[in-house]
Amino acid sequence: MPMDRREFLFRGIGVATVSAMVPRFAVAGARFFEESLAPGLAGRVLVVVELAGGNDGLNTVVPYTDPLYYNTYRKNIGVPAASVLDLDGRLGFNPVMTGLKSLWDANRLAVIEGVSYPNPNLSHFTSRDIWHTADPALAQHRGWLGRYADATMAGNGNPLSGCAISQSLPLTLLADKVVFPSFTSLASYAYATDGGTPSDAANQINGFVAQNSIEHEIATRNDRIEGVSRDAATSAATLKLVTSGYVAKATYPNNSLANALKLCVEIIVGNLGTQILYVTYGGFDNHSAQKAAHDNLLKAVSDSIKAFFDDLDGQGKSSNVLLMTWSEFGRRVQENASLGTDHGTAGAHFVVGNAAVKGIYGPAPALNNLDKNGNLPWQNDFRSYYGTILRDWLKTDADAILGKGYPNLGCVNPFYV
Amino acid sequence: MSIHWDREAAAHLARRAGFGATPAELDAAVSLGVDAAVDQFVNYDAVDNSALETALQGLTSFTPPATSPVYDLSNIAGVEKWFLHRMVFTRRPLEEKMTYFWNGHFTSGIAKVQGVTLMLNQNKTMRQYAVGRFDDLVVKISQDPAMLIWLDNATSRAGRPNENYARELMELFTLGVDEYTQADVSEVARALTGWTVQGYTQADNYNGATFVDNPAVHDNGVKTILGRTGSWNGYDAIRIILETTDEQGSVSGRFLSKKLWTFFVYHDPPDWIVQELTGVYVSSNRSIRAVVDHIFRMPEFYEAHARKVLVRSPAEYAVALLRQLEAKTDMSTPVNNLVAMGQPLFNPSDAKGPEGDMDWINTGTVFARASMTNTIVTNRGKTGTTIDLAQLLAGKTLTTPTDVVNALGDRLGLADAPLEVRAAWAKYVDSKSDGSRGYWQNTSAQVDQKARGLIHLMLTSADYHLC
Repeated sequence: MPMDRREFLFRGIGVATVSAMVPRFAVAGARFFEESLAPGLAGRVLVVVELAGGNDGLNTVVPYTDPLYYNTYRKNIGVPAASVLDLDGRLGFNPVMTGLKSLWDANRLAVIEGVSYPNPNLSHFTSRDIWHTADPALAQHRGWLGRYADATMAGNGNPLSGCAISQSLPLTLLADKVVFPSFTSLASYAYATDGGTPSDAANQINGFVAQNSIEHEIATRNDRIEGVSRDAATSAATLKLVTSGYVAKATYPNNSLANALKLCVEIIVGNLGTQILYVTYGGFDNHSAQKAAHDNLLKAVSDSIKAFFDDLDGQGKSSNVLLMTWSEFGRRVQENASLGTDHGTAGAHFVVGNAAVKGIYGPAPALNNLDKNGNLPWQNDFRSYYGTILRDWLKTDADAILGKGYPNLGCVNPFYV
Repeated sequence: MSIHWDREAAAHLARRAGFGATPAELDAAVSLGVDAAVDQFVNYDAVDNSALETALQGLTSFTPPATSPVYDLSNIAGVEKWFLHRMVFTRRPLEEKMTYFWNGHFTSGIAKVQGVTLMLNQNKTMRQYAVGRFDDLVVKISQDPAMLIWLDNATSRAGRPNENYARELMELFTLGVDEYTQADVSEVARALTGWTVQGYTQADNYNGATFVDNPAVHDNGVKTILGRTGSWNGYDAIRIILETTDEQGSVSGRFLSKKLWTFFVYHDPPDWIVQELTGVYVSSNRSIRAVVDHIFRMPEFYEAHARKVLVRSPAEYAVALLRQLEAKTDMSTPVNNLVAMGQPLFNPSDAKGPEGDMDWINTGTVFARASMTNTIVTNRGKTGTTIDLAQLLAGKTLTTPTDVVNALGDRLGLADAPLEVRAAWAKYVDSKSDGSRGYWQNTSAQVDQKARGLIHLMLTSADYHLC
């Protein structure tokens, strides 16, 4: 039975120093990281971008040839037809999305239309949990990528197999056998020590590790907090030892998503064997005065993702990276009296990268076929979306992770190498 | 079953009903006995808190030569400092604890509300109604300008009502997610039309908004809310929601009881506890104080499995360590670190308050907590947040490393930490810079080095993250 990751890292912790806790490949050099990766996957990275709050798919990928959109539902906040960036003669991007449009033009972007699930839940928090766990019944306590991590990363010894650029750990990444680190900057990612007595710093760090290395007979919250604390120390030590010399090769816009994606590139360039990166960008719950706020958000998303791929291109790393977006739901089709939109169901999402197969997956939003609450019917089950990524990008048994098989969308090239 | 009242039980009550206690406060609580100790927390109106109010008057105004108040209430950081100051220095800990509970329950965020005064006033409303009737609190919050803007009822109107507040009123504030339908959301939204604000303008930085019930935008039609039909308005909707029952009894009672127990005692309470508390809620005509009072007098509250099982939120963590270390503070260090620790107190990312528990703990937030404590305990200057080592160690024997661990462990409520953890602390105290043992001598230089370092370690141990 393979040793689990904690045992690997913390055998004989009583005499361990922090440097002894760092996996040997971090000390020896990047090429050893490949040993921690599943065969056929070497170097592949999945970047998940969560658009928190429920993005309005209809004002993102605009059905600008559908009169119902302008004449009935979006009289005030609709995106003018003349301004949209046409994709296929039916649908077009919001005009602020020039960055994503250029990735589309370069055959590096797929649009997945109408993503949702049967009997969609209109609560942010319930729907978000459903998306995080890939389980509308909410019987899973782990995230969908947490289950992937448990199946493929447990015991690989790499404390940075995945991480969240975030002040919290998203449920998507919650696993039983793997702790994903989360941070928003590398500079502050360390156990702070007394600047007044620097000669005591190693004792302080070792004390921190030691007080968090207790054997508990039963799993308690102490045990879990100590595990996270140890993983913090280990991942920080690893990040410190691997100096990447990263210099950005693109100009990023000034927003938190761009900052996070830039940090993702730094980690990718650092060859730390990181497979999963997770970024959250919020503000999409536009119940009122939607237009200006939403346009700003979409522009930030589009410009940031474009800069991210420009940077990866400059670093020679873009062939290894696939980015996907999600959001807990789309918005109500009918705008409200506040010039905003209430909670809805299906929305459009993006897969970006050289392995993305350009196209629009699913029919245009069916504005003439709304449910009793005035919401869109779903066209693609979000588990089909996840399954396609798991199967064709992460090369894993998607059906096992999702509990059953879902139709493959074809938006990721399965033969991409 | 009865309550075994001792220093540990008093410390437990102080951690839960307040934010932790100093050794002197614990001694006083033990001699009071459990009933009087609970009385002092719960019936806090009887406790003189004028020293706090007087101090805050001074800190929120200024006299030359100072050019600004310590807590500038015209920016949100100042309001955060003001709130944290109350939590640290109040003589009515439960008043602030309940206000803090409602801050997480009825969230609002400055990024959308914009008016700092509106956020401050909302906090004052939560304090004023903190342990009154739940009905009154829900009405006051539903008419609170910050909330009306935060969840958009301010711009709702008959015709195409905005559903944002109506949904969260039921989902997050009173009933829980599966206790209503989308049709109920739409109907409650109709009933709430007309509850809006006036005077919300950029001219005074969005600080001047006041509640107004505007009949011109109210939907006067017939609505069916949770099965009851009538020409309901906002008051009716709230009353119907709070009165709703199902086969298990009061739905709002169950929801609030579960949330209060989870906040004060432990997660996933068994049904009998929720039923017992719901009974108190109903029989007291929905009195928050009655439910909270009942919690602190239940033997179950004092059981071993209820102790040290809640994860301190960043604010609770900061307040507890400031209280227990009797720190002098202008609150800048705690407030500057709240976001990195994962808790933007008046600027949440969405309408749902903190999940609490392990959601607070990830590798980044563990380091952020360490960063804050390190800044505090290694501050050897006179400004910011400082601790007085001489005062903390006065009268303590410090001959051996274990003595140092005992002295500071008692101060921080960590006397019951696992033996291995205490051994790791003693080892730290006794370690030379090369890691070898035999370092500790009770000199002022070593106290300055190792006592600070040890407090830092203790505050970043799993035991201190729990309460």
